[in-house]
Amino acid sequence: MRNSSRSSTIRVLTALLIVVSADVSSAHRRDEYLQAARLGIEPDRVQIEVDLTPGIAVAGQVLAEVDGDANRSISSDETRAYAERVLSAIALDVDGVPVPLTLVDSFVPATDAVLEGEGTIRIRAVARIPLLADGSHHLRFRNAFRPDLGVYLANTLMPVGDRVTIRAQERDVDQRELLVDYNLRGDPATRLRQGLTVGFTGAIVLVANVWWRRRPREDV
Amino acid sequence: MRSRHRIASIAAVGLLAAIAATGFAQRTAPANSQAGVTVRIVDAAQKVLASLDEAGRAKVQFPFDGPQKARWSNLPSPMFQRTGLRLADVTPSQRTTIMNLLSTALSRDGYRKVLDIMRGDEVLRTQSAGAGRGGGRAGGGGPAFGENEYYLAFVGTPSVTAPWMLQFGGHHLAINLTLAGSQATMAPSLPAAQPASYTLEGRTVRPLGNENDKAFALVNALDAGQRGQAVLNYRVADLVLGPGQDGRTIQPEGIRASSLSTTQQQRLIDLVREWAGITNDAFAEPRLAEIKANLPNTYFAWSGPTTNGSVAYFRVQGPTLVIEYAPQGNVDHIHTIYRDPTNDYGAKFIAK
Repeated sequence: MRNSSRSSTIRVLTALLIVVSADVSSAHRRDEYLQAARLGIEPDRVQIEVDLTPGIAVAGQVLAEVDGDANRSISSDETRAYAERVLSAIALDVDGVPVPLTLVDSFVPATDAVLEGEGTIRIRAVARIPLLADGSHHLRFRNAFRPDLGVYLANTLMPVGDRVTIRAQERDVDQRELLVDYNLRGDPATRLRQGLTVGFTGAIVLVANVWWRRRPREDV
Repeated sequence: MRSRHRIASIAAVGLLAAIAATGFAQRTAPANSQAGVTVRIVDAAQKVLASLDEAGRAKVQFPFDGPQKARWSNLPSPMFQRTGLRLADVTPSQRTTIMNLLSTALSRDGYRKVLDIMRGDEVLRTQSAGAGRGGGRAGGGGPAFGENEYYLAFVGTPSVTAPWMLQFGGHHLAINLTLAGSQATMAPSLPAAQPASYTLEGRTVRPLGNENDKAFALVNALDAGQRGQAVLNYRVADLVLGPGQDGRTIQPEGIRASSLSTTQQQRLIDLVREWAGITNDAFAEPRLAEIKANLPNTYFAWSGPTTNGSVAYFRVQGPTLVIEYAPQGNVDHIHTIYRDPTNDYGAKFIAK
């Protein structure tokens, strides 16, 4: 009963807003759910931003999924729960190994803005990547959230610094899947530390070798 | 409220000092040089301030380092809550002063484009009202748009030396012109259009018609191999770096301009001019020179059919430039964005 009344309310509200906003929104995507993802690839992690904007004709439906207790107010728990749901439909792997996503932050705008088809739900997540060797790597991002409504954008941000270089990107026609070939260069400080360690070890071996050859020997 | 009055008082004092400085600068700078145009823009801005009462000045004036700089959108009010001086709230004489400021700050084509976008929005409002949907009406719960729903703001005090920003926008338009001494940038700005074609006084108006036609001409001037590089194999449904995406730069895609012939490169520059040339010629020319210098590292990407009249997205991206053109599902509703990843809001000028 409660669910039925909630759906009716949302249907009426949505219908009203469709009429009021018809012309402004007429050429906007009305019955689609825009999901724009941006990936920031770093040596040890991938930062993921997903902006979700439901069109006016599906906004009520989306809002009903966010507003778990149907009180027309979105709590931080509801926001977090919805964000986790979105993230659970997103898969990320690096060199074929799945990498879990951790929610960092999420935001749901005022319900009126969402119902008007102009509110954007924002989700920020991070995927920690295990230590990777220098050289070529392959990242695969796939967004399978609400494929019945979804219209997708997926882009790689320009890497910050010079350790990560994007070599190639490929997408499917709907941008639900993004494949990125990238190159990872070692951290100069780490390389210096490694160089010093090798040099120091070499020096010890050399000194030990010289000492061994020159050590006083007992005549046989 | 008290703080708004304090800002207005400070602005009034700043205005007097700026008028004195402008007067001096007027006597020394050649009229069409960057410095000379800056003087004329500041003079026109001061005339706007002088035409307003204290309440009006409090509405239009914002501190330079505050959040107003990044408060712009393509959306109508109140989907996006604008602040500033609303055209609907000014007298005809004040409106003339404001439009004179815009015509001074922009090129002839740029000013025409702004007027065409605003008139287009008025056509949209009239059509909505005619259909009995109450569109474009403020205060009635629905979205407010139309040619009176544009806002002017000065972010910082208009000055020939100190940085400040002229912000003008409403539904489908955001002009953010940052001036710093004799330098100026219009990044980021958002010219858009709905309807993309309308009739006014017997004349067909296409606010972004040149952008559309020049892009289709360029993509059709590519040979099969070049087109294979330029045309993306996926759908792009919207702007990637639209409002709210300040500070982000995506990995470029498409064909590199260094792979284009001289004629094709010239077509690309002509296309870019449609955005970079909105601002006064004195600022547009050095900006275009910078874009030309970076042309070898500039990319042109296309998504969609290549027959003019089709729904197609394109992007021009270089070290100091991002332009996106994104039809919103049909050819009668276009969003575009113009950015300089190194100098949005004049960051490069101010850092000097």
